[in-house]
Amino acid sequence: MRNRFDEQLALLNRELITMGSLCEEVIALAARALAEGDVALAGKIAPLDTEIDQKERDIESRCLKLLLQQQPVARDLRQISAALKMITDMERIGDQAEDIAEIIPYLGGRIVTECEQIRDMAKAAIRMVTESVDAYVKQDVELARSVIGQDDVVDDYFQSVKSSLIGWIAKHPENGEYALDLLMVGKYFERIGDHATNIAEWVIFSVTGIHGEE
Amino acid sequence: MTGKIFRSTLLVALAVLLVSLVTMGVILYRYFDGVQMEQLQDELTLAARGTEDGGEAYLAGLDSRRYRLTWVAADGTVLYDTQADAASMENHAQREEIRQALERGRGSSARYSDTLTEQTLYEARLLSDGTVLRISISRASVGALLVGLLKPAAVIGLLAAALSAVLARGVARRVVRPLNELDLDHPLDNDTYEELSPLLVRIDRQRSQIAEQLGDLRRRSDEFRQITDNLKEGLVLLDARGAVLSINPAAAALFGADRECLGKDFLTVNRRHDMTLALKSALEGGHSETRGEENGREYQFDFSPIESEGTVVGAVLLAFDVTEQAFAERNRREFTANVSHELKTPLQSIIGSAELLEAGLVKPEDAPRFVGRIREDAARLVALIEDIILLSRLDEGGEQPRKPVSLRQTAREAAGVLRTAAESRHVTLTVEGDEGVVEGVPGLLYEAVYNLCDNAVKYNREGGTVTVTVTEGEDEVALAVADTGIGIPPEHQSRVFERFYRVDKSHSRQSGGTGLGLSIVKHAVQYHGGRLELHSRPGEGTVITAVFPRG
Repeated sequence: MRNRFDEQLALLNRELITMGSLCEEVIALAARALAEGDVALAGKIAPLDTEIDQKERDIESRCLKLLLQQQPVARDLRQISAALKMITDMERIGDQAEDIAEIIPYLGGRIVTECEQIRDMAKAAIRMVTESVDAYVKQDVELARSVIGQDDVVDDYFQSVKSSLIGWIAKHPENGEYALDLLMVGKYFERIGDHATNIAEWVIFSVTGIHGEE
Repeated sequence: MTGKIFRSTLLVALAVLLVSLVTMGVILYRYFDGVQMEQLQDELTLAARGTEDGGEAYLAGLDSRRYRLTWVAADGTVLYDTQADAASMENHAQREEIRQALERGRGSSARYSDTLTEQTLYEARLLSDGTVLRISISRASVGALLVGLLKPAAVIGLLAAALSAVLARGVARRVVRPLNELDLDHPLDNDTYEELSPLLVRIDRQRSQIAEQLGDLRRRSDEFRQITDNLKEGLVLLDARGAVLSINPAAAALFGADRECLGKDFLTVNRRHDMTLALKSALEGGHSETRGEENGREYQFDFSPIESEGTVVGAVLLAFDVTEQAFAERNRREFTANVSHELKTPLQSIIGSAELLEAGLVKPEDAPRFVGRIREDAARLVALIEDIILLSRLDEGGEQPRKPVSLRQTAREAAGVLRTAAESRHVTLTVEGDEGVVEGVPGLLYEAVYNLCDNAVKYNREGGTVTVTVTEGEDEVALAVADTGIGIPPEHQSRVFERFYRVDKSHSRQSGGTGLGLSIVKHAVQYHGGRLELHSRPGEGTVITAVFPRG
């Protein structure tokens, strides 16, 4: 009985890592499409996001089945409930990436040169997602804490993106719409950073049993 | 084992003790019983004789505390009793022993007292006058005897039990000690019970078998590790569920994994989506591969299933570094693109000039200029094609016949051909130094020297000099071509030997180069196992030295 349960937990673990890797891929793709102004590349994001949504439903039903049938306690319960929370954040990351992909055609193939920070911001957000998944894979609390710390960096990037866009609009009022689109993209990356932070917090919870600032 | 031996020994000792005690008791009881009966009869005989002689007086005179004598008349009336008043005693005719004596001359019986603690034995005899004399003795019954014996027996039993316990323990220990002291690492060196020797021999044989097999296994795993550890390619073995069985150092470094990943899912080592899919398809029995970048280098990942008796038992991942290959591919693509471009440019110029001439749009006095341009471009095309043919021949490799070639002689020939071009630009071309004989392909060496000198003349300044110096070293021959030309800026120096690479793209057209000259030089020198050295300063000149091995 216990063996079967362990097996199912291992399967859940695998699925979660796979979903994490899909998230990494989708956000990396979004960042590349943005940097290269490649609309075709952006088109590849939507199918991946569908796959992420499907994965979320799969994992969700797997978790619920485990909760009902095995009635886990202690660490097992933490792992499953953390998984339930993490997939929500991962799914949101997929959605944000898709939102970015939807904006890219409106940028009209323009390569974002006006706002270098947005690229650095994308890089920082990608790193946060990668490291939060890494922290889950290795059950590494230290790494998870460092991810949480990086959220401030991404937030700062958003502030500087915002102020440089304001300056830019003042100089080129005709590009207002374009600038606003870029601001949205920045906001999405900022949200992705928040979701990565959430994932890292759930990693800490599943290992230590303590969540957030308690 | 000690416990068991101890218990058995103790049990046997106690059982023997008990049996012997009981047996002894029974035998002794019987013996003393017999003796007592005999005594009783002897006493009765004596008393009977005395009574026959002396009558009541005799009985009265007897001092008897141990025995009780009762004289009974033939009708059962008690005539005398040594311990009681005869008159008060009842008629004894119905007593067992009296009846027997009256009938048969003698009788005996035994009766228990009311409390059963005492037994009274009776012996009676018919006297000659018809009366009966009875003797009786009281003694403790067997039950009472046993009760009386209980205490000493218990003491003896306890003592014996304690003694046997001590002895049994000692025995048990002594028996077991040699077994405990067996040296199983060297089974045959033991000096122990003979009965154990077959076992020990067997253990010894199995030990050596195990050691042999273990050594064999270790050797094999060492071999495997040696091979995989030194493998430049990354190698990962995975089981049917996709867990890592073994990972070699190259793969560990490539994926940034450590030994902790052993036994864990491959996802924990690398979770790239294409890798996961490739692994899945390998575990379903198909071969699959994917490419990707790790740590800034490009890798090809080959997944193959491991099959045993028709079922997939795992997968093996081989990771090759294809960075150079990818670079070479990119170069080839670039080369093709460059060749097409370089071939097209002069052709377009030719077609353009020809069309103008054809349409009669050229004034007759300008016609020679246009025809001259057509000729020049055609000549350039031929030169380019010749260079490409030469390069592709060099690319294909293949051995060409070699013979001793004098580098100074070769340089002279090249200088002779270039003299006109040099003079037209007022460049002095001199060849000096040693003979410099190397074993090589004359055509290739000529091409190399010619191209070096050609460049030196082409990129020289008006009135400059080109000096070709051949120097024979101990086991090398160096050919240095020094010019006083425009030089090559440092940032371009590493790339000038690439095909179609040009420092100044606008200048090339006017100098008429193909962009392949130095590339040919590099190939020809490498073909002969030599190397190239480049020293250049913009505005001062360039020295390119080709160093060939001797002989």
